[in-house]
Amino acid sequence: MKNTLRQVFHSPKFVIGFVIFAALLLTTIIYPIVVTADPLEMVGNGNFFKPGTYVSVKDAVEGTRYTLNIDVKSGSLDNKISAEDKEAMKEWLLKFGGLTEADIDTNDVEGLIGLWEANYSADAQQKGLTASKKKYYVRLNNSIDGILLDNDVIIARENPETGELEQSATVGSREFVNTKDVANRRTFILGTDNFGRDVLTELVQATKTSLRVGIIAGVIATLIGLFLGLISGYVGGVVDDIIMFITNMFTVIPSFVLLILISYSVGQNARGVNLVGIIIGLTSWTWTTRSVRSQVISLRNRDHVNLSKLSGHSMMRIVLTDILPYLASYVVMAFILQISSGILSEAQLSMLGLGPSTSTAATLGLMMNWATAYAAPLNGSWWAYFPVVVTIALIAFSLNLMNTGLDQVFNPQLRD
Amino acid sequence: MGRIVIPNKKQEVKSMKLRSKRLVALFATLAMTASLLAGCGGGDSAPAADETPAATEEPAADEAEPAADEAADTASAGDTNSTPREETLYFAGQQWGTINDWNPFSTNSNNAMAIQQKDSSRTLIYETLFMFNLLDGQLYPLIGTDWSWDDDTLTSMTVKLNPDAHWSDGTALTAEDVVYTWDSNVKYESSLGLDFSNYVESITAVDDTTLAIQCKLDDAGNPANPLKVQQLLQQMYIMQKAYLETVEERNGSDKDAVKLDKMDDLIASGPYMPFFDDDQKVVFIRDDNYWGQAESMWGSLPAPKYIAHVIYADNNAGQVALEAGDVDICQQFTTDVQKLWEEKNLPITTYIDEPPYGQCATMPSCWMNVEKPGLDQVEVRKAIAMATDYDQIIASAMSNQSPTFTDVPRSTMNPTDGEQALYDHDAVKDLQFAGKDIDGANALLDEAGIVDTDGDGIREYNGTPLSFKAECPDGWTDWMASLEIVASSAKEIGIDIQTFFPDTNTFYDDITTGNFEICMNSPSGASITNPWGRCMQFLSSQYADLSVNWSGNWGRYRNDEADEILAKIPLETDEATLKDYYTRLNEIYLTDVPNFALMYRPELFYIVNESVWTGYPMKDDGTNIPPTDCTDGYGIAALYNLELVE
Repeated sequence: MKNTLRQVFHSPKFVIGFVIFAALLLTTIIYPIVVTADPLEMVGNGNFFKPGTYVSVKDAVEGTRYTLNIDVKSGSLDNKISAEDKEAMKEWLLKFGGLTEADIDTNDVEGLIGLWEANYSADAQQKGLTASKKKYYVRLNNSIDGILLDNDVIIARENPETGELEQSATVGSREFVNTKDVANRRTFILGTDNFGRDVLTELVQATKTSLRVGIIAGVIATLIGLFLGLISGYVGGVVDDIIMFITNMFTVIPSFVLLILISYSVGQNARGVNLVGIIIGLTSWTWTTRSVRSQVISLRNRDHVNLSKLSGHSMMRIVLTDILPYLASYVVMAFILQISSGILSEAQLSMLGLGPSTSTAATLGLMMNWATAYAAPLNGSWWAYFPVVVTIALIAFSLNLMNTGLDQVFNPQLRD
Repeated sequence: MGRIVIPNKKQEVKSMKLRSKRLVALFATLAMTASLLAGCGGGDSAPAADETPAATEEPAADEAEPAADEAADTASAGDTNSTPREETLYFAGQQWGTINDWNPFSTNSNNAMAIQQKDSSRTLIYETLFMFNLLDGQLYPLIGTDWSWDDDTLTSMTVKLNPDAHWSDGTALTAEDVVYTWDSNVKYESSLGLDFSNYVESITAVDDTTLAIQCKLDDAGNPANPLKVQQLLQQMYIMQKAYLETVEERNGSDKDAVKLDKMDDLIASGPYMPFFDDDQKVVFIRDDNYWGQAESMWGSLPAPKYIAHVIYADNNAGQVALEAGDVDICQQFTTDVQKLWEEKNLPITTYIDEPPYGQCATMPSCWMNVEKPGLDQVEVRKAIAMATDYDQIIASAMSNQSPTFTDVPRSTMNPTDGEQALYDHDAVKDLQFAGKDIDGANALLDEAGIVDTDGDGIREYNGTPLSFKAECPDGWTDWMASLEIVASSAKEIGIDIQTFFPDTNTFYDDITTGNFEICMNSPSGASITNPWGRCMQFLSSQYADLSVNWSGNWGRYRNDEADEILAKIPLETDEATLKDYYTRLNEIYLTDVPNFALMYRPELFYIVNESVWTGYPMKDDGTNIPPTDCTDGYGIAALYNLELVE
């Protein structure tokens, strides 16, 4: 046993797979201890907030301020007016502002803004301009409104009695806050999803759920497969015929179709995480049965088995002590593959809306489902689906790598 | 699992081969992903000409359209199906499958672009007497020029028709056609005929251009419902008598056969006629002999020669086409629609440049079946409504395309100014619930004695746990997300709500037969009968008694006082009394909470791409044309203002 383990951990493929898998598993255990927020809490009031740290504006205004000698004007000018904006402003001024090419220098931003503020009017007759373009100019005008002014921004509160505004603070253009001073802040390393939930926290939870579904499915499928395979292979005869008949029948029906039908008929009410795992396990045992059976048949007539039979050992004992140990390595590998395919099946089911329900559990498939439903790939919200895809890929990859590694160790024909 | 015996060296070679194969596969995947992303992002490429040939397998010659010769001039020879981009107005988000008929009597027509007899009827092919404008709630003349009640009893009405109106075959459209259309609707029991024959006794022709409409009277001699009679004017498609007779003849006047007739040889009065359709797209062609070009109507023909709707697989496909400029008017819910112009800088815009981006006219609501134990308790219903996080629904599920309930407090009125003025906001102020009020909802349930006795986190009523199934059709993502938010709020007050998303048919079976616990559905939007019609849908027991109920009040709530007021409103013309009635109805609505609105929503989403056409109606542009996609009600007036982008 010790020797086998040492051999296994000498296989680089297995080790890489194992490390990735262990890292994922550890993350799902450690992360919830560090971050205690509810993964299903809808924090963001909107769809797909981009990754970053969000600080409370009110805290920032009221907190300690530092004056830094940084030219903020050019920084915000560059930020607010792109080269395209400048060209668009020039175009408008030429067409509707009554200016000539000579009046306008797009390299002189401040001059351009001066001209713009002097000439632009949203109410001007803008013949030939589309509605979207008109609205674009209104937005542009609003965003650069007062950009050149250097005076302070006034913060005011409404007096609850008189309803008048009372100045409470002013904000100068060179005043900064240290984000560490802001009490209310929240970092979304992977942004938020369409419900405004923290994607990273949700992803960790979903990985945990998926691993659970995978392991439940893997255990069930492997147990059923092993049990039927052993009986069918060892006993043979009519029992074998019957079991193989059933197995073949299940092999012919695409298991995913079966999975969909069963999940659908169970109904959303009962479809918890565990049940989904059980359903997947119940539909994916067939190939384990077939391969265990064929291996048992080849073992059945070996000398040591015949000796056991002659010694009058019970069938149970023969199967457990003389046959099963020879299969152990294979069963472990089959188990790993079953976990992997169980996880993928769950993701597929949830993509179809047949997995666990959204308000009770986070799963990888559900995250993909909602990201697609709210067109995340179309509006550039990569954080809502790409990390999920990578996680699914990593789980499947690590498990398959472990399997290949084990194969090389246990299969004498593949040994180096 | 048997493995083929291979010597070690060979094995190495094989695994190298495998590895290189894997590398190739990896690169192929990467390349595919890259091209996919490029395809999503690129907004400049793909002129519409690219996609039209995709639909050319079937030559349109067998269509036998009268317009086919004409089309040959403009379309490239031998390919009548591809229409010039500069003459075609492309739609998305209306037609989702191959169209099955052109029959307004049909009960299962899926021909969304041609047949929509509703509050704002779609008048591209068939026309109604009048057009409804949801912005001001008025009827605008189309085939009819003028309508008026004969006296104050509101029992009969006279309608004048436009003498210029004629059919696509050139014959005049007369009062006889209207009378025959109505009689056929009644005779063949179309859904319109079944509904309106409760309110309209008869329609008769006084002369060629004058109609007399007689209302159905109740026992007391009052008209059954004058509002519904007005609604008929904007809703019923007028059909040609001669053509209807042909259809009857070929179907032997059999009721079901007439309703199943394809009517693909139709004769209509509208500005467009069918041109081409298959499983890829639907195209209408302008009837250049359209009567509406007379000075008495529009004074010109609509600008686009063709109206086309490519049949997209799903919303995402439609959105990609919109961004590429292959779609001009997109009737689809689009997440973060402002990103299209703010971040992607596409020439795309909506009716309003800021939230809620469109003109909301209805309010999808959560209906609770009051016949189910638990939901028959007003405290339970109100607690669910109080706990629900509406701001979250509006910001995330609806992507900010709805005013909040702080902006427009909940009531039976839609968020248009006209309806909002019809009730006393202050009188019901104390009954309003802001949402996300977990403490308040918990306290309400505790006080009512509905508590969790067995410690499983779910409250019980009479020993049964409060556990409900909330359903809406699968694929209606904004609704599905809304119900998820309702469910997660309810969890916090100890009520278990599971979401259930069946296919659309199952959903409608469930709600029309009362076989549901909680469902999401929209009441009617803007209409000449509203807000009365909507109040009926919220509160009237008249619908609760129907065994198959398509009309409203799906939760089967009953309130005698509400019924009484609802019966009086259609006959009342005094504005102050009407306001009192509506205020009282809203008190009942907010006290008993038979259902509660989750969001406001436009009747049609309206996102336009201005890379080819411009001149679409926009808020405050002075045209008073509603944003109904240039096709519905008075919104069709927009087609006459469109022009090509310079």
